[in-house]
Amino acid sequence: MKQAEDARIEVRDEIREFIRENFLYMRPDLELQDGDNLLGLGLIDSLGFVELVEEVQARYGIQVQDVEITEDNFGSVDAITGFVERKRAT
Amino acid sequence: MCGIAGVVRADEDVGVREDALRRMARALRHRGPDGFGLGFGPGAGFVSTRLAIFDIPGGWQPIVTEPDGSAIVYNGEVYNHPELRADLAAGGVDCRTLTDTEVVLRLLVRDGLDALHRLNGQFAFAWWQPRERRLTLVRDRFGVRPLHYAVQPDGGIVFGSEAKALFASGEIAAEPDLAGVDDVFTTWGPRAPVTPFRGVRQLRPGSLLVWERGRIVADRTWWRPDYTARDAPPEEELLELMRDSVRLRLRADVAVGTYLSGGLDSSLITALARDASEHRLRTFSVAFQDERFDERSHQQAVASALGTEHHVLDIGPADIADAFRDVVRHAEAPLIRTAPVPLYLLARATREQGITVVATGEGADELFWGYDLFKEVVLRRRALHDEAALAELDELYPYLAATGARRGPAWRRFFLDAGAPDDPLFSHQTRAVSTAAVKAFYTPEVEAALLPRDSMQALRDDLPEAFGGWGPLERASYLEVRTLLEPYLLAAQGDRVAMAHGVEGRYPFLDHRVFEHAVRMAPEGKLDGMREKAALRDLAAAVLPARIADRPKQPYRAPEFVPFFADGSPDWVEELLSPAALRETGLFDEQRVAGLVRRCRSGRASGLREGMALVGVLSTQAWHEIFCGPRADRYPEETREP
Repeated sequence: MKQAEDARIEVRDEIREFIRENFLYMRPDLELQDGDNLLGLGLIDSLGFVELVEEVQARYGIQVQDVEITEDNFGSVDAITGFVERKRAT
Repeated sequence: MCGIAGVVRADEDVGVREDALRRMARALRHRGPDGFGLGFGPGAGFVSTRLAIFDIPGGWQPIVTEPDGSAIVYNGEVYNHPELRADLAAGGVDCRTLTDTEVVLRLLVRDGLDALHRLNGQFAFAWWQPRERRLTLVRDRFGVRPLHYAVQPDGGIVFGSEAKALFASGEIAAEPDLAGVDDVFTTWGPRAPVTPFRGVRQLRPGSLLVWERGRIVADRTWWRPDYTARDAPPEEELLELMRDSVRLRLRADVAVGTYLSGGLDSSLITALARDASEHRLRTFSVAFQDERFDERSHQQAVASALGTEHHVLDIGPADIADAFRDVVRHAEAPLIRTAPVPLYLLARATREQGITVVATGEGADELFWGYDLFKEVVLRRRALHDEAALAELDELYPYLAATGARRGPAWRRFFLDAGAPDDPLFSHQTRAVSTAAVKAFYTPEVEAALLPRDSMQALRDDLPEAFGGWGPLERASYLEVRTLLEPYLLAAQGDRVAMAHGVEGRYPFLDHRVFEHAVRMAPEGKLDGMREKAALRDLAAAVLPARIADRPKQPYRAPEFVPFFADGSPDWVEELLSPAALRETGLFDEQRVAGLVRRCRSGRASGLREGMALVGVLSTQAWHEIFCGPRADRYPEETREP
């Protein structure tokens, strides 16, 4: 369990860092929380979303399916962390 | 080919000062380095700077007819002027000079504006009829040549090939017009009649404007691209037409060369020009030190196969940075790509080789559906009911892989979500969405100021009535012609960077007869499955090596980050992007730009989104400094004698 928890924290940190580095500079006023809606806040536009999904695929070696491109899976740092965890478990 | 300008007063008793006209002439000297002419009338003054191509000793402007004193200042070429001259002579009208300028003037005097339909060429001119106190401004069908004007509060009018001539008059101030800036960050260029300068308008392609005694009495289109279906032409007609179009465009009293990109279109033009030329043809190419952008092997293959005298200009990152601000000065608008810069340098090199006229391949991709955008339209529409089409979207825009753009489900979703199929602008929503990356850097004040005017809605509102009756790819073609070809490719990447060095581009694909032929062709002649420009490829197979005729399209691009953020990059880059400079311009948010600069500086910035953002912000800053800021360009008087 500890191992899984550590992995989850690591993924969360990496996703958070990727978003901070690539997108958050566009919103210097924003204190991003892990549950915040990345698209709803206007932090990531549709072209940025392409970069984000590719980063997740490349970094974690997972294949994202067309039907998996949803806000439930990619809408927030929490959502992405959970999605990566589920994909790795399958 | 020339630069033109003028001032006409509402009140004929108010004179036009010679010093103002001399400053306007100086501002346009690059367009006409061979000399200039001035003309005066009551409350009217005209300027022409001349690049001598026809009738070198006799072609000075303004040209005036007698006895009514009707006059013209004219920028461009009408290629069928010998035939039109013969027609005039047959009707008893003789010309004093051998210029196309005089032919156009005498046709106008004889036939009025109906004469425009007989002109085959690229031109912008001002026709002055003193008795009626009427000024008519005209621009060619596709808008190859620029023409700007501003109406003054008292009804007077100031015009010029470029906006800088208006500013040089001392009567028009250069201030930003956010609508024009926002057009650039929507569809890549300011769309006529809008410009990035408040109060400055440009004639729409294929339009005319009539000013009379202080009032605009007509502002209308005399030609527009019409995609209404008609009978298909005989296939063999295309080769004949292209040969004739090239033949006409080799007409000049100076040597004509071609630009050779290594792709299908310019190779085809070069092959036809070689066949039609009496001398060994000279070809000119841009090559890049960065091999992701480089096409030199293809260029060399064509040059060798056709036996041209080939010149290559090797471009490195420092070359782009060094010339960037000069290109903005000539483009007179913000840019979202660095691609105009190498063409500016190529024009300079071409001029240094003694060539002042070049034929190029512009227009083929719009008329014969060469861009991936056309395939994208087909696939996005098919994907609405056929999931298999989704995977094919991955094959589009392969060159973007080099900029970090990725393939996969999110990429496909990007296309699917970009716009509804019943939107008239369906084909161009993806471009608008991606280009909007620059708008994310606007200050809140700019965002608020732009709220009442949505650039895409403005485009939608401006569509011709017949648009709705055209097919999806015909609509896409119309939008490419209107939003990309004229506002960007023929302007920032065409006329402006070539004329910066007094080099005239000629575009055989933009002969209106070729356009008509392309519209009449069956769709498969343009996009056959996923084989683009099918008829042109078939045609090329007859005159070019197979590896060129069959070569997949490689869009012309240039490096974006390295020129501005490598060791030894010029200091002005960081100065223009500094908080103080950004505050002075007031268009972009300091903190967001600071974040982008940090990423550029550390080499982490990448991709389409940040590439456009960097070039967009940097060019806008440069544009503002050159035209609108406290250190804006000043225009001295032309001191040479007319």
